[in-house]
Amino acid sequence: MRKFLNGPWVLLMPTLIILTCVVLLPLLLSLWTSFTPFKLTKPDTLYRFVGFRNYERLIGDIDFWIAFGRTVLFLAIALNLELVFGLGIALLINKITYGQRTLRTLMMFPMMFSPILVGFQWKYIFNDNIGLMNNFLREFGVIQPIPWLVDGILANTSIMAAEIWSSTSVFAILLLAGLLGIPKDPIEAAKVDGCNSWQVFKNITLPFLMPFVFIAMTIRSLDVARAYDIVQMMTGGGPAKRTELLWTLISRTGYVDAKMGMANAMSYISIFLSIAFTFFFFYKLVEARQRLSYE
Amino acid sequence: MLRLFLSLVLAVSFFGSFSAKAETELWGDYSGVTLRVKLIGGGQYEGLYNEVIPWWEENTGGKIEIVTQKNHFELDKEIKKDIASGNLDFCVASNHTSFASQYGNIYTDLNNIMPASVLADYTPLILEHSTVDGRLVQMPRHSDVSNLYYQKSLYEDADNKANFKAKYGYDLTPPETWDQVKDQAIFFSNPPDFYGTQYVGKEEAIAGRFYELVIANGGALFDEDYRPIFNSAAGVEALQWFIDLYNAKAVPDGVLNYLWDDTGLGFASGTIAMNLDWAGWAGFFNDPENSKVAGDIGLVRAPMGSGGLRTGWSGSHSFSMTESCPDKEAAASFLWALTSNKAQMIEARGGLSPTRPAIWDAIIAEKKAEGDEFMLMVFETFKMSLAEDAFTPPLIPEWIEFTNVLYPELQAAILGDKSPEDALATASKKATEIMEDAGYF
Repeated sequence: MRKFLNGPWVLLMPTLIILTCVVLLPLLLSLWTSFTPFKLTKPDTLYRFVGFRNYERLIGDIDFWIAFGRTVLFLAIALNLELVFGLGIALLINKITYGQRTLRTLMMFPMMFSPILVGFQWKYIFNDNIGLMNNFLREFGVIQPIPWLVDGILANTSIMAAEIWSSTSVFAILLLAGLLGIPKDPIEAAKVDGCNSWQVFKNITLPFLMPFVFIAMTIRSLDVARAYDIVQMMTGGGPAKRTELLWTLISRTGYVDAKMGMANAMSYISIFLSIAFTFFFFYKLVEARQRLSYE
Repeated sequence: MLRLFLSLVLAVSFFGSFSAKAETELWGDYSGVTLRVKLIGGGQYEGLYNEVIPWWEENTGGKIEIVTQKNHFELDKEIKKDIASGNLDFCVASNHTSFASQYGNIYTDLNNIMPASVLADYTPLILEHSTVDGRLVQMPRHSDVSNLYYQKSLYEDADNKANFKAKYGYDLTPPETWDQVKDQAIFFSNPPDFYGTQYVGKEEAIAGRFYELVIANGGALFDEDYRPIFNSAAGVEALQWFIDLYNAKAVPDGVLNYLWDDTGLGFASGTIAMNLDWAGWAGFFNDPENSKVAGDIGLVRAPMGSGGLRTGWSGSHSFSMTESCPDKEAAASFLWALTSNKAQMIEARGGLSPTRPAIWDAIIAEKKAEGDEFMLMVFETFKMSLAEDAFTPPLIPEWIEFTNVLYPELQAAILGDKSPEDALATASKKATEIMEDAGYF
């Protein structure tokens, strides 16, 4: 006992207790509920074990897998576009010698809006009747209103536009930090050797930036579920499930239908999606760092 | 026993220049008592609290602490979370007849709390709808049913009359049937500037509209054992009505994302010919500051379906008292105050339909005396509609969950992703699973 009290465990105990209470216990509880028919309005159902019934139902639920696939596609497209736009903005701001601070502040404005507000404003922009987009297009002779939030492709594109507008600056900030940390010597040496701008970017800037790219990707892939509010405000996953993502489906199942056991089973399956994305980006991060150290 | 603590006063209440019939009042001395309450929020609902809460506090010495004030769907989620966590530390909450059966036994049976003389002041049928498993779990605040608003000038226009008759073979008059609504909506539409009608297009809203049309067509959602039977001729006919209007562009393209505010504001914008909507919008529609159709509004009872019945999806906003409330007498007094003659008259002046017969008489008398022909028409129409056409959705805990499997299928059919038969078959299969899980069969 004395040995235990004098050992490192004592110092670790506060952290372990807090992590257990804040992370581990809720995770275990939600895992347990996924093996029950737990309904929010019937607390007694928390104690009824039904084994893998929720998971078995989900495996055969085509709506769930379509939402799952759409979420993967949404993540892949949105994150990559945010990366491209964020990189472009960061490179442009990095070139500026006057007013860079002001632009950096302006660039962060979209991050200051809550996702609910972003959803509201983009819903208004894409409203088929009174929306800014259709009224703007009307000035150019597009008389028939475009059903931005009804057509499947347009609705998903509209939601993606809102999400990209809201979160591109996260990439831009992280990549700008990376750009500011790149040593100038290799770039100047390459220019002296006759490299053009594209060659400098491809062979020097980008390899230096890759660890930042993968860190940004990892952070955003875990954080992107905040877009739930945007989707909920703009379409609620509809119409006819055309914009249904895992987040809207899980939220409706858990809080509106009150089927929290089923919602948690959905969440645990979708956690594999997050783990896969995170694992992939960490793998690429380590690879990029190793390549940088070899070079 | 509890009733001994209640101060019962039979009095005549005076409000404004009119008096309603004698009302049983429920005052008491509740000094030192603070009631925690969770209320539905929003402009339409909060005026009542601003008047009634100070009135109750002044007369009883008690205090009201508003814990939550949010829209009904958010409030519903919050209360479900409260039930799950066992954290029911409030006394009074807003409720609705369509939602009440979900909440199990968290709310007190008011039959044991409210004196019979108080309950006698409310419309008996509405109290019946406020009852779940034989327990009166809510005091009705105001009732809702929808009727058809229309732009009068469209029906008075000589060209419209002649052209309509030539095209459809019958006179252009405010519609009596939903088939006529469809004809007239297509006739009036001139997209994208003007549409014949519109409908709420998602969630419980469109499910409710579909439900009432199925009933009006002579069908039903469930049989006596709660097996789904809406995949029927009446159901397909109801769904086809939505599809036909959408395909004819007689409703805006974005209608499937519309909820109540969208349809209300749409009609007020002057770009919609006919609008099936609730009584609470009447004042807004006829207010020149908010509405381009003010002064040009007609109103008829909701039209009939092919079964000869009028649509009449109805429900009542209400207030409930938690079983865990430590001050039930004070809470009962507050419930009474929130739904009293005074409270209902305040809301009726805004166009909401009262749940006390005395207030119907009082508000109609008041509007007559003021010479307010429009509001008089509104109250007379809604009074008749509530008396003769109104019906509630199935008052079962699974109603909201059921609407969540129904509405995406309705949308899929409207958008042409599925045939009406396929859509209803899928919805019926999912609804069967819900009912089976709930143990109905």
